[in-house]
Amino acid sequence: MPQALEGSQAIARAVALCRPQVVAAYPITPQTHIVEHIAKLVADGELHCEVVSVESEFSAASVVLGSACAGSRAYTATASQGLLLMSEVLYNISGLRVPLVLTCANRALSAPLSIWNDQQDSMAVRDAGWVQLYCADNQEAVDTTIQAFRIAERCELPVMVCVDGFALTHTLEPLELPSAETVAHFLPPYRFSRTLDPLAPLTMGTLVAPEYFTEARHLHHAALLAAEKEIVAAASDWGAASGREHAPLVRVEDVPKARIGILTLGSVFGTLLDARDQLPDPPVRLLHLRCFRPFPVEALRAACAGLSDLVVLERAIAPGADGIIGAEVRSALMDMDAPPRIHNFAAGLGGRDVPLAIYPRLIEAIGRPHARMSPIDIKPELLPENAPSPIKVPS
Amino acid sequence: MNTLHDLRASQPRFQGLESGHRACQGCGQALAARLTLEAAGPNVALANATGCLEVFTTTWPDSAWRVPWLHSVFANAAAVAAGMEAALKMQGKDIKVLALAGDGGTFDIGFQALSGMLERGHNVLFVCYDNEAYMNTGVQRSSSTPHAAATTTSPAGIARMGKRHLKKDILSIIAAHHIPYAATASVAYAADLRKKVRRALQVDGPSFLQIHSPCPLGWGHGSELSVEVARLAVQTGLFPLIELELGALVGAMPIREIHPVTDYLKLQGRFKHLFADDARAREELAHLQALADHNIEVYGLQGKAPDTLDSEGADSVRRGGLRSA
Amino acid sequence: MPVMTPGGFAYPGTSLAFKTGGWRTQRPVHRLRAAPCHVGCPAGENVRDYLARTADGDLQSAWEALVAANPLPAITGRVCDHPCESACNRGHYDAAVAIHNVERFLGDEAIRSGWAYPLPPVKTDAPAVAVVGAGPAGLSCAYHLRRLGLNATLIDRLPAAGGTLRTALPGYRLPRSVLEDEIARLLTTGIRFLPHTALGREVSLAELQRDHAAVFLGPGRPRPRPWDVDGRTPRDLHPALVLLQDWVALGTVPEIRSAVIVGGGNSAVDMARVLVRTGATVHLVTHEALPAAGIPHETAMKAALRDIRQAVEEGVILHVEHGVHRLILRGEKVVGVELVRMKKLARADGHYETVPFEGTETVLEVDQVIPAVGQEVDTLGLEALLPTGGLLPVDGFGNLPGHPALFAGGDARLDARGTVSGAVGDGYRAALAIHAQVTGTTQELQGEPAPIPVGDLTLNYFEPVPRTEEALLPPEKRTGAAEIATGLSAVEVAAEAKRCFSCGECMACDNCWTYCPDLAVLKTREPAADGSHYLFNYDYCKGCGLCAHECPVGYIAMEAESS
Ligand SMILES: Cc1cc2nc3c(=O)[nH]c(=O)nc-3n(C[C@H](O)[C@H](O)[C@H](O)COP(=O)(O)OP(=O)(O)OC[C@H]3O[C@@H](n4cnc5c(N)ncnc54)[C@H](O)[C@@H]3O)c2cc1C
Ligand SMILES: Cc1ncc(C[n+]2csc(CCOP(=O)(O)OP(=O)(O)O)c2C)c(N)n1
Ligand code: SF4
Ligand code: SF4
Ligand SMILES: [Mg+2]
Repeated sequence: MPQALEGSQAIARAVALCRPQVVAAYPITPQTHIVEHIAKLVADGELHCEVVSVESEFSAASVVLGSACAGSRAYTATASQGLLLMSEVLYNISGLRVPLVLTCANRALSAPLSIWNDQQDSMAVRDAGWVQLYCADNQEAVDTTIQAFRIAERCELPVMVCVDGFALTHTLEPLELPSAETVAHFLPPYRFSRTLDPLAPLTMGTLVAPEYFTEARHLHHAALLAAEKEIVAAASDWGAASGREHAPLVRVEDVPKARIGILTLGSVFGTLLDARDQLPDPPVRLLHLRCFRPFPVEALRAACAGLSDLVVLERAIAPGADGIIGAEVRSALMDMDAPPRIHNFAAGLGGRDVPLAIYPRLIEAIGRPHARMSPIDIKPELLPENAPSPIKVPS
Repeated sequence: MNTLHDLRASQPRFQGLESGHRACQGCGQALAARLTLEAAGPNVALANATGCLEVFTTTWPDSAWRVPWLHSVFANAAAVAAGMEAALKMQGKDIKVLALAGDGGTFDIGFQALSGMLERGHNVLFVCYDNEAYMNTGVQRSSSTPHAAATTTSPAGIARMGKRHLKKDILSIIAAHHIPYAATASVAYAADLRKKVRRALQVDGPSFLQIHSPCPLGWGHGSELSVEVARLAVQTGLFPLIELELGALVGAMPIREIHPVTDYLKLQGRFKHLFADDARAREELAHLQALADHNIEVYGLQGKAPDTLDSEGADSVRRGGLRSA
Repeated sequence: MPVMTPGGFAYPGTSLAFKTGGWRTQRPVHRLRAAPCHVGCPAGENVRDYLARTADGDLQSAWEALVAANPLPAITGRVCDHPCESACNRGHYDAAVAIHNVERFLGDEAIRSGWAYPLPPVKTDAPAVAVVGAGPAGLSCAYHLRRLGLNATLIDRLPAAGGTLRTALPGYRLPRSVLEDEIARLLTTGIRFLPHTALGREVSLAELQRDHAAVFLGPGRPRPRPWDVDGRTPRDLHPALVLLQDWVALGTVPEIRSAVIVGGGNSAVDMARVLVRTGATVHLVTHEALPAAGIPHETAMKAALRDIRQAVEEGVILHVEHGVHRLILRGEKVVGVELVRMKKLARADGHYETVPFEGTETVLEVDQVIPAVGQEVDTLGLEALLPTGGLLPVDGFGNLPGHPALFAGGDARLDARGTVSGAVGDGYRAALAIHAQVTGTTQELQGEPAPIPVGDLTLNYFEPVPRTEEALLPPEKRTGAAEIATGLSAVEVAAEAKRCFSCGECMACDNCWTYCPDLAVLKTREPAADGSHYLFNYDYCKGCGLCAHECPVGYIAMEAESS
């Protein structure tokens, strides 16, 4: 039976259903509600879990690393500055091949300071060696969170579940929460294969000399690539268990004769779906890149088959370069027989609203000559006079 | 049958840290860690900060540890240990968690995580192997480096007499956390060190041990002198051996015969510049003496009568070994 | 070839595969070094060894270790001047170990408990050696010959064995019962003892040589050396040795009101003390100084400081660095002496000469002057070897040059120490040489090893522990032959034994085991081949030298690695 829940609360409940034994987090908007809710569930006796209220995100990541290695299921959540403060540990966790789940309530990075949503934060740690899954809505956030633990534990890799701050975390939506039994069955108790155990002591976190380092990195890389199978399996098994199946890698919302595609990550996908309902012409195939790491090259190529143009709409920017996802998509599709032309835009940086009206502008932009990537929703009138003019986009 | 190998396997002590580690000759930290593990026993799990100890014990595929051991990064040993402890507590397991770090990983970069761990009351023993500089990266000054000591980032020269600042009084800061047990120890007093490890592990809650661990390379003394130098640090009053419970001083090892600080300093290359015929050198020597005198006064270190547990008695040996330790 | 593991984890203890021993440029080795007490002991006792056994509470094995060198510990424990203690490194720290009291205690315990000397059974067909003189030198030689598996025939012209110990040593220092018991026990070890057998009277040297594989001569110096002042002697002159022999044998001496005793050795001091006991006023006059650190042996009184102190406590008036310049005679009877200050000064050639200082004369009124100025060998039966007043010149093993099967030791030899322990040591070394000669093996004459100096110990690891001084009979109670020194109790002896630093020998304190950062010192369950309790594991030892530096007893040395 669907119930109306704030995204953060839904995620907190999903986490609780996964029965983590240790949760460590540090407050940061817009993630805060998630851990507050978890703390309350613990306080109310609904979840038996040690909540470690650490003094920084750096320690939050470190605590859950320690807990996971000590054999407990562990969880943390953060956003933005917090994620970057964790970054040293994030690389470390994945390099050690430790299963963990982290919710990133996506938010812009400072400076200038912004507490609002974009995806610059998770993009900044895209090469940290974690699985990164993006959620288009809160139902998906709930389901992905549950799947994330299974993926992490089966692959011995950490999984970052990215949900747009405010847009999802603070939005009330009707959604289904699975029963405890369903989750318990899907996600059985777990013991990390390299648990720190005095009876079988292992040494983790060694120094690896140049003669062996490449192999260590290769194994990590290969593990992420191999994780794709588990991501797909988790989605389908969860579909069977819950009755809700989300596309595991790339969600394709196609319409007949679509030659244009728009690809995005996160909640903007919903906006595009609504806009397309209002503007059915030209036919546009909408793609949601749910799985960003591992980067699902094959699935993406299949999803783009038959397209002449693909707009990649990002919620982050690589200053001085082009888009982050755009560049990756471009290189992934390059070898296709007839790859679509890629049009790369950013939008909604630092919480700027991404309205339905963005949809026609994206389609129009296809006709223009290729330019370096830029925010499509820039307001030229706010720029100082001597500023270099933004790439012209239709208004 | 390799008899030495068999003998090694049947030593009447717990060898949590094995031979074959790559510490320098005479490394005080290796000794301190070995003694820590001996006292702690096998039912432990360790979190180790980046630093010499971490590097010299775990060059893949070799590990010198016989206990579960995890190294994450430089700054987070306390937090990793806290996570381990939280998990083990939830699992109902009675395994003692230790965090090990150098002075850099304690006084400086690891300080915040340490403070947080102490404040939250994790049942973790944090052991700081204080070799008074960043040794692993080539002897740079840390906030634990003593005043006037030369390091690669506080070199002595025409314009400078080594480190300009004082050694951070970490124990007072730790004391301010009002944790059940905090103490200093020295490799020169092995029985005292072991006793303090055991005490620290007996308390329920966070505990802290700062072990003075000479570094022949960084301090510039012969590898055979590590224990002698450590002993003199205690006997001069420069490194008081004290114990605190809930922030209150409960014990200090009395010094039976107080040595002048020069006895300690002159053995070490890092203080060599203080023995030049130079007025500033003389002033710094006087300053270091004053710091030692201050410690002696503040902690009441001057022994009143010879005592089996004072600076002369605490290390005495007897025929047939240290049965008391 | 290792295969990469997930996250680069490693298995426990795998560092053992990495042999850090390859880094070494120097290696620690166990090096047993001579203890100063051992080097200092003229009898050659391994003091360190029996102190260790005593500390362990194994008194019988301690005694056995002790009598491996000296079969008369109950005696030497009382009368030896214990140079071991003067040499003891502990003397540089707090106070020397009271070795003599441990020795005495073990000797007494052996008598009390009847412990048998650890000797091989007598073999009738073993070569026989003749030993002349049953003083400490002869007794020791005969005993060690037996210990080495030879047969010994010991002759003495007196009715009982013991030599000077029996004839002249007063009972207040060496109770008769101790002497009797220890010597009687020694004589039951298979030594063939023939009393009333004087060399030169009952048997000749040639006969002895004919019937025995070798002969050891230990006749002592039983005759007082002649004494006069400028050629004059009083008529009623009694040499101290003769008076002492009377007192020891009969318990009486001629009545003397006041006397000057001339000499600084044991006879002089004992003579003085005996006379004090009879109520006389006694002056002791000697050229020499009080024995003390820094005073050369040649210029110090030969009596032990302990005995001189007791003599003074008892009332003897001491005049050190004085000499009798002139006898004041009434007829041939002494009424006084003129004393003068004197000093033994070293000449350019290193010899000492006694120099009187003019203008320092004083007069003492006394009715006796008693010389105690040394003794001589009685040449009876030795005429072929010695002129009158001569001494037997021997090598380091007691062999008389030119006489391959003739050995000598004790007081009778040239440069004798003039002490019981010296005589025991002479007998011991001669027995070794005789054994080597008789069995056709060679006995290497080794120079004394240099004892380990105190600077080679790491004294930090020791605690000051006061030396236990034995109680002495208060001076007013010192009458007759009542023993003065009371010895130590078993508990006190154990405590003294524990004070031993074990200089130069492993005492299993665990320090190397404790301090090796590389666990390259392994502890053994049973003593290792070298007697220590540790082995170096050179696979891992990096040669830092910590163990050697921190070894309290200086047992570990660093040797350069031959690359
Ligand atoms: C009064 C006095 C006190 C002393 N006090 C001490 C002391 O406190 N500590 C110390 O260490 N030393 C002391 N001494 C010295 C010590 O007694 C001698 O150094 C020691 O006894 C020498 O031993 P020896 O075996 O060489 O000779 P002796 O003990 O003199 O024994 C020689 C033996 O040979 C026998 N003998 C001699 N000629 C013949 C012969 N022709 N045929 C058969 N037998 C013969 C004698 O009868 C005698 O038994 C003292 C000496 C005296 C006189
Ligand atoms: C975040 C970070 N900064 C710097 C370093 C480089 N680094 C590694 S160990 C070390 C010094 C360690 O010093 P200390 O903690 O005192 O241990 P020691 O090596 O002296 O035993 C430094 C600076 C690092 N590993 N991580
Ligand atoms: S301390 Fe012991 S071994 Fe050293 S000299 Fe004295 S008695 Fe001998
Ligand atoms: S302490 Fe250990 S490593 Fe150093 S020399 Fe001795 S045995 Fe070798
Ligand atoms: Mg350091």
